[in-house]
Amino acid sequence: MLAATYMKHASTRCWTKNLPLVTSVRTSRRTFILTALSTAATAAYSFVSPSISLANSLENGTYKPQHFQTTNERELQNLEAAKSNKPMFTRPEPNYPNHVPLYTFEKAMLFLGSSLGAFLHPERNEFIVALGESTAHPYFLNLLRDQMLSDPVGRQILKERPNITSTSLDLDHLSNLPPNTFGRTYVDWLHKEGVSPDTRVPVRFIDDDELAFIFQRYRQCHDFYHSITGLPIVREGEIAVKMFEFLNLKIPFAGLGAIFAPFNVKRRDERWRLFEVYYPWAWQCAIGCKPLINVYWEKIMEKDVNELRKELGVIVPPDMRQLRKVARMRRLKGLTN
Amino acid sequence: MLFRRFMATAATTAKTHTSDIVIIGGGPAGLTLASAIKNSPILKNLKIKLVEGGNLIEPLEKFNESPPANFMNRVVSLTPATISYLKEIKAWDHFKEERTETYDNIYAYDGITNARIQFDCPEIATMCENFNIQSGLFQRIKELNKDNVENPLEILDKTKVIEIKSDEKNKWPVLQLSTGDSIKTRLLVGCDGYNSPARKFAGIESRGWAYNRWGIVATLKYKDDAFRFPTGWQRFLTSGPLAQLPLPDNWCSLVWSTTPELADILMKLPEEKFVAMVNAGAKLAPSEMEYLYKLAAKNDETLMEEISWRLNLFNSKLKEEEYENYPLEIESIVPNSRGRFPLKLSHADTYVEERVALVGDAAHTTHPLAGQGLNMGQGDVKSLVKVLETSTERGLDIGSKFALEGYFSERYPANHVLLGIVDKIHKIYSTDSSLLVMARSLGLDAINNTPFLKDFMVSQISNK
Repeated sequence: MLAATYMKHASTRCWTKNLPLVTSVRTSRRTFILTALSTAATAAYSFVSPSISLANSLENGTYKPQHFQTTNERELQNLEAAKSNKPMFTRPEPNYPNHVPLYTFEKAMLFLGSSLGAFLHPERNEFIVALGESTAHPYFLNLLRDQMLSDPVGRQILKERPNITSTSLDLDHLSNLPPNTFGRTYVDWLHKEGVSPDTRVPVRFIDDDELAFIFQRYRQCHDFYHSITGLPIVREGEIAVKMFEFLNLKIPFAGLGAIFAPFNVKRRDERWRLFEVYYPWAWQCAIGCKPLINVYWEKIMEKDVNELRKELGVIVPPDMRQLRKVARMRRLKGLTN
Repeated sequence: MLFRRFMATAATTAKTHTSDIVIIGGGPAGLTLASAIKNSPILKNLKIKLVEGGNLIEPLEKFNESPPANFMNRVVSLTPATISYLKEIKAWDHFKEERTETYDNIYAYDGITNARIQFDCPEIATMCENFNIQSGLFQRIKELNKDNVENPLEILDKTKVIEIKSDEKNKWPVLQLSTGDSIKTRLLVGCDGYNSPARKFAGIESRGWAYNRWGIVATLKYKDDAFRFPTGWQRFLTSGPLAQLPLPDNWCSLVWSTTPELADILMKLPEEKFVAMVNAGAKLAPSEMEYLYKLAAKNDETLMEEISWRLNLFNSKLKEEEYENYPLEIESIVPNSRGRFPLKLSHADTYVEERVALVGDAAHTTHPLAGQGLNMGQGDVKSLVKVLETSTERGLDIGSKFALEGYFSERYPANHVLLGIVDKIHKIYSTDSSLLVMARSLGLDAINNTPFLKDFMVSQISNK
């Protein structure tokens, strides 16, 4: 009787203990059957598959009997097989000199790497360049292209595709121009900042060659934007110009720079100047200004610079170097920022 | 005595004829109906008259004897169903087949995204000049009249219908012609186009809307620089589709449906610039076309240069396998072959009324983008003839609405569906809102890659 009660207890309390044994046996039997069937099917298929492929090749007319071949024919066949073993993915042809066609995942990696690098080290040119090209999606460049095509001067620029180098601009001639001309202003700015138009890296990662030219033109005209507004090449000046470019040309790279770069600006007075002086200036200037991509800079070198500014609607911001000097002097004197 | 003689002559000039059927309109619909009725053994002894306001017989005879060297600018696409019916009534033998072009491919692509659909079916359609159709049918009618001497078909051309009245006694329509005669008829068939007087007489309302588009037609010649199978090309620009339809010998017929403003600009352009605009319209993006339209509006000298620059740039970017996605460029145009006509949708409330039936454009008009307008009319003719045969066999009065209603009930739904589909295609492709553009491009690509859907569409287009 004790045994009976124990058995009852066992059955009510430990009923689950018995089951696994039964189900595991059942499942293991089921899996065994399934595996056996699938192995049998695979074996049967592997037995029949040569016949199937032979029948297919007979139907297609590509049947080549192997054993009646001369050495020559066999070699030719091997050659053909080697040709048809082309890789699945081949890199497309370059569309213009310096073009490096990238796959989409490579462009994505370029974007990630260069965005981080440009944020942390904006003084290194390769990050800025790579960030600009990886974010220049054809959608934005097409908008810019349409804008250029609907403007007569922009159309001329696209037709002639001018390239700006120190020789094409003839810097010596420009430095001899009267001081109120745009050309003289430009050369003076180059000397003041210590840069040259030759340092612009050619575009490499944009696929369409017309869009690559547009981006190249944007890059080359960057200095002109600096000189017509008078902003220096320090980081603060670059951020201000980037904001202005973003609002005027709607290039995403400029927008990214304008939005994220100030996070890395540590000095409080610098940040204050950016947000209180230069960003409002950029907004106001870009609204009233004509799209600067449509300006044929090489042809207006001898124009009076203030007249040019009025024509384009460009407002000159407060002299940044001056403001920075004042702020530095205040800091040195121990005054609060 | 003089007075009486005057009255005598007055009495002989104005005659009232009676006939079984009077067909108003000598276009393809009217002529097909006439020849089909005379071809039918059951109906061939009916007294039939065909009244046409313009000059019909002379030009058709002239076309038959010495056809013009160039193709005319009014060309239609005939479906296999239409051609098999024309063969059935034995009119096809009289068509000048060397002036028709049977093609196997239709290639339609989006103007904004270049999503495309390609139909590849043997003899999907045949291009044929309107005049060729009319002349072929006219020759068939002459042949039938030779065999049917007691009851030949009378064609009264250069005869306008001044008024249609209802006879007081039996309510038969009485047509007052410009020659002074009048005809009383058992059945009046209106094949007289959109502004059909027959439809107005019957009091049938026609509903629809004008598309606010004009269809520009012209005859153009392709450049001989590459090979293309004869293909019907259609690019859906936002202003309307630009269609190039193949004619023999590397010629093509243009049908460019566009807005009234652009139609004015294009029609005023000199012929060389017009050809360049057609080439640009087949390949360039809409934003570029906007600029070109602005130049064309001023008839600017730089237009040709701009177009050749943009086209060369476009062509240089095409890969090898993409060459065949665009039609060949046009080289020249037949002088003075540009014409235009307004596009509208309309569908009559009913095709039959007591003593009146409507066939062809009198009953329905549509957008030319699917090439179905004339073919719907041919289908109408086939159905009407069948209904008339059935009614005659049963001894019914062929002019009674009861006898004719079978034609209306057979043709109205089919035509309505086709009109609706063509209208929706026009509406879908008239927008440039990016959401719709993406949706329609995705849909088009999906259909292009689904074989059974394409087969279904081809069977609907060609074998109805």
